[in-house]
Amino acid sequence: MALAASTRASVAASIRAEFEGFIIREALLLDERRFRDWMALFADDGTYWVPAVPDQKSPFEEASLFYDDRELMRTRIERLEHPRIHVQTPPSRTAHVVGNLVVEETDQAKGEYVVGSTFIMVEYRDDAQRLFAGRQRHRLRRHGDTFRIVQKRVDLINCDGAFEAMAVPI
Amino acid sequence: MRNGHADDIATLVEPGRVHRRVYTDPDLFELEMERIFGRAWLYVGHSSQVPQPGDYITIDLGRQPVIMVRHRDGSIKVLLNRCTHRGAKVVNERKGHAQRLTCCYHGWAFDTDGKLATVPVPEGCGEGFDKDALGLARAPRVGQYRGFVFASLAEKGPSFEDHIGPMKRNIDDLVDRAPDGELALDAGMHRYVYNGNWKLQVENVLDSYHVPFGHASTVNKQGVQFARREGDRKGATVVEAEKKQTAASWKDRKSFTVGNGHGWTSNTALDDGKRSSPAFDEYKRVLAEKVGAERAAEILTPRLHNSLIYPNMSIMGLNIHVRVIKPIAVDRTEVNIFPIRLVGAPAAMNFGNIRLLNVTHSAASFVQTDDLESFARAQKGLASRLTDWIDISRGLGAEEPDRATNATRGLATHEMVVRAQYKAWVGYMSEAA
Repeated sequence: MALAASTRASVAASIRAEFEGFIIREALLLDERRFRDWMALFADDGTYWVPAVPDQKSPFEEASLFYDDRELMRTRIERLEHPRIHVQTPPSRTAHVVGNLVVEETDQAKGEYVVGSTFIMVEYRDDAQRLFAGRQRHRLRRHGDTFRIVQKRVDLINCDGAFEAMAVPI
Repeated sequence: MRNGHADDIATLVEPGRVHRRVYTDPDLFELEMERIFGRAWLYVGHSSQVPQPGDYITIDLGRQPVIMVRHRDGSIKVLLNRCTHRGAKVVNERKGHAQRLTCCYHGWAFDTDGKLATVPVPEGCGEGFDKDALGLARAPRVGQYRGFVFASLAEKGPSFEDHIGPMKRNIDDLVDRAPDGELALDAGMHRYVYNGNWKLQVENVLDSYHVPFGHASTVNKQGVQFARREGDRKGATVVEAEKKQTAASWKDRKSFTVGNGHGWTSNTALDDGKRSSPAFDEYKRVLAEKVGAERAAEILTPRLHNSLIYPNMSIMGLNIHVRVIKPIAVDRTEVNIFPIRLVGAPAAMNFGNIRLLNVTHSAASFVQTDDLESFARAQKGLASRLTDWIDISRGLGAEEPDRATNATRGLATHEMVVRAQYKAWVGYMSEAA
């Protein structure tokens, strides 16, 4: 019994390490402004959602800061690569820290997992530095030896506040 | 300028130019709060935000905190959000529901029409204590048109009809798109702020000149913008790719003014014949069923891009929304953008509108963010002391009457509408309150 339990625990620990590695790499791609590589982490039906109110139920019935499917993500990234994107002249520099990771849901049959984590992102641009923080939830789908993001939901603690322009994904 | 003499005000605005102090002088900002936001008809909110008695929203009219609340008799009251006892803000939530509005400090409770209902420990009140005289202050004048609620903080002035009359057609254009003839502003809001004067946003909503440059990053190599409406396969052509200049169809757009600082721009040229999606087709069918095919076709013919109801509100016809401009300081402004649900339209059509508005007008949108950058840079540039004037002379002298709408017409890439706003501005600012 003791052996079986410790085996389960080590399996759990190893998949947890996989989730953590994936989510850290995802944050690093944003910090390195490798937006195309970042987008490639999403499944074809993947979405990126930043609600505009706490506990927002639906991206369809209420305004959101971001709710991008792959098509809108692509348009957003083309704009980020455009030489005349004024709100990125000069560009943002960001640093993410991700922690407090909890596996919130496991669906072995579908190979899908929901992983929650707390993040802080510091953004510096044009002589101004600001702070974003909150809880993010990645719904991940097993894809070979890695994952694809089915949804990344970012709940900012100040999601219903008034923001200065936000140009880069969080 | 502290005294705000009419002569001083008049020197700041010339036929084709405006003095930079209009954007940068804190004393002038104080005077604007008194003479424009202290008495003009201001947009407050929409009746659908307070559907039931006791429902309220809190907002600022200029810098005055107010509560818009539905009273038991169904009427909408606009009350000053300030306890008549020791001055605390009574309601601190942005929206909610209450039978009584109770102050957090000593518990004075007000009815939803503002009357003082109860006072804790009433035996302590002085002899002449007059509850009737201690109700929450009310906006002296409130007007409503098709659910849009406006208020003036002054007892006297031009009537609501005088103010809103010339813009009713623009409100109708939007409301009539709802199969049930009714709008619901119940889909949340976008909130953004920028370090710049409030007039930078007001001027921008009717500015078609900036689009090919200010929004260059939203346009592909063929000069075409991304699709912004449900059912569109592509967006508007704003640049002629080969010549790298503003597209002819964009240059042909018109702008209109009707006095009071109000105005609008004509529609964006899009291929409406090809507009189709399951949601849009179903919406067209439902609308035609309600109002008849002929009227539906008329309603669905795009006429308006943006309409400005000076000084604090605009309506967009392309990505439908209501925009409210809130001055905070001479160099700080908040803007709120409300998505609109067309009551009676299929849910999928409303979802589509709400989703696309995230892309065009959220604080993280493709369109609005470049405008915010331009506003902030304008405010920085206007701090320069060596050049005192900004130029707003495009199309000066080219204005012509538009008989169909009883308006004055110009090209949308001209600056006639900005000059019209400054005419209204000088009118408000020159007259002592």
